[in-house]
Amino acid sequence: MDARLHSHVAMKLVLVPLLAVAALFGQSVQPAADTPEPEQATSELNVNSRYTVESVDVNNTRHYRLSTAILDEMHRLIGARLNDDAVKRLANKIRGELRAHDVTFKLLRGGNPESVKVLFEVEKGQSDFDVSIPKFAYNSREGGSGVGEVTGRIGANAFTFAGLSDGDSLAERYSGIQAKYERLSIGSDRVSLGFEFDAYHEQYNQTTLAAIETAVDSSSLGAGAYRSRMNFEPSATFVLAKPLTLTIGFSFEQLQPQLSAAPSESANAVINTLRYHQRWIDSDDTNQELDAGYNLRAATRSLGSDLAYTRHAVNVRYLLMHDHQLIEVTLVGGLIYGRAPLFERFVLGDNTTLRGWDKYDLDPLGGNRMIHGSVTYGYRVVRVFYDTGAVWEQGTAPEAKHSVGVGVSSGLGLFQKGGVLLAVALPIRPGRVEPVFIAGMNF
Amino acid sequence: MSASSEDLFVRRLADQMRVIAPRLHFLSGKSLQRLRDGAIVPFDFQLSISAGLKTNLVSRSVERFSISYDVWEEKFRVVRLRDFRKSAAGLSAVAAESWCLENLLVPSTGLPADKELWARLDVRTSEPKESAPSSTDSGISIPALIQLLSRPPRPQQDHWTLESASFHLADLKPDVKSDLKSDVKQDVKQ
Repeated sequence: MDARLHSHVAMKLVLVPLLAVAALFGQSVQPAADTPEPEQATSELNVNSRYTVESVDVNNTRHYRLSTAILDEMHRLIGARLNDDAVKRLANKIRGELRAHDVTFKLLRGGNPESVKVLFEVEKGQSDFDVSIPKFAYNSREGGSGVGEVTGRIGANAFTFAGLSDGDSLAERYSGIQAKYERLSIGSDRVSLGFEFDAYHEQYNQTTLAAIETAVDSSSLGAGAYRSRMNFEPSATFVLAKPLTLTIGFSFEQLQPQLSAAPSESANAVINTLRYHQRWIDSDDTNQELDAGYNLRAATRSLGSDLAYTRHAVNVRYLLMHDHQLIEVTLVGGLIYGRAPLFERFVLGDNTTLRGWDKYDLDPLGGNRMIHGSVTYGYRVVRVFYDTGAVWEQGTAPEAKHSVGVGVSSGLGLFQKGGVLLAVALPIRPGRVEPVFIAGMNF
Repeated sequence: MSASSEDLFVRRLADQMRVIAPRLHFLSGKSLQRLRDGAIVPFDFQLSISAGLKTNLVSRSVERFSISYDVWEEKFRVVRLRDFRKSAAGLSAVAAESWCLENLLVPSTGLPADKELWARLDVRTSEPKESAPSSTDSGISIPALIQLLSRPPRPQQDHWTLESASFHLADLKPDVKSDLKSDVKQDVKQ
């Protein structure tokens, strides 16, 4: 890794809080993507600016994952006269996002004499090495959660090593490492293989520990508190019909109990994930995005598992953006049959669901039934959201909870557009209400 | 790249001077490839006149020309960045090179008539990072351009230097329009 990457990440870490505060209290910080720049002057210099852009492509796209913001900008160029400045800006953004050595563009003749095709050429340099922070979040009630990731690619092989501490998504805080190898194509781009190894150390809230004490034998909880967890997960992903993919594999999970004398327990499961992701971009600058997934984890004694359960989870997210406005609707739901360990149970009241609620107040052990919906309206960088949902135990009556919040979402000129969210959320309930402050990116 | 004194000739045009360099072909190599890929390639020019001694600089002219290549018509377009309004399109490579030199003029008034004079031409591709800060809506900042041209060229930067033989003002031939200009579509928007 070169020093530039180190300094890039360090700069982001320093600048994020500063810019976040500036974005909250002032109007001066605008995302770079939204900043208009004088374009006429240099566009006129290119004789090809009289031609209409017919298509925009990136070479070897199968090895790159471009953000939706970049893809949006690529689409926006199509159908308009060639804008040399816009193409150069986009090349710079692609270079930054892919950490490429250089990104250049080439104009090719289009299908008719008044059009051209734009082809971006990515030069990755000799070492393809990437350092990123795919997730970082702070919640005034839960504390911080974050993932730091290093990825190296050699041809179609990707090696990822991550360190994380997550006190948000589960009833427990888990901290540890993830190591993953991916073969991005096996003969065809439609098949990829992955092998993942995870090792985590667990920490529990006192409320959760107390609930485990009283409920481990009587509830659907499959195992008591464990101090560490290891997982080995081989999987294969098939592109069934773009953009529909199916991932199948196994998860061999080993749980070390808090008392060292007690035997370890295993949760070995077959895993399946069906995922659909589609985007539509209309000529009137309306973008729509649909993301849907179904995940099944079935732990069975035939795989040597001490715990037997089946966990189903579905999620749907629809996003509509037009001009400076957006509406996002998300729905998630899940149910568990059998006695699943704590890390498999559903939790609400985190940084993305029932924001403002304390997840330990809702259910310190999580539940084996869950449903949640959220609607977010956005205008420029301002976001207003409403969350509703319930988490409960099979055989009990679900009790719906609601919350609302307001915040700002922006790329702050450093990250993907809208990648950073700063919000204040309030639970809707009678009596004293304590607001929760949430800040983070990519969560 | 440098060339001998036989490669640069000075011509007089009323009270100005210009140069011709028939063997100078800067639209070549990497720059030509970038142009054919549809990019804009700016070239910085400096024409300097010395008197008495080659090191005694008495007059100088700097210009930045921005060149692009029409991927359909396979012809070049040149824009003089100082004023943006002077440009030519539909040029062959040789005609585009000549057009740049024709629009690089240095005043002859004030030059000593009794001393030996030398002309020196520096041409270099400008790097993309250098283009933005020195450009303004109205064109290119001359001081910034002089500053850029005063620095030694970077290793990856294409550059050409040509020097003329010594001459006296009185001996200069008047400018004769080159035949190359016949295929030039001038689109001067004064």
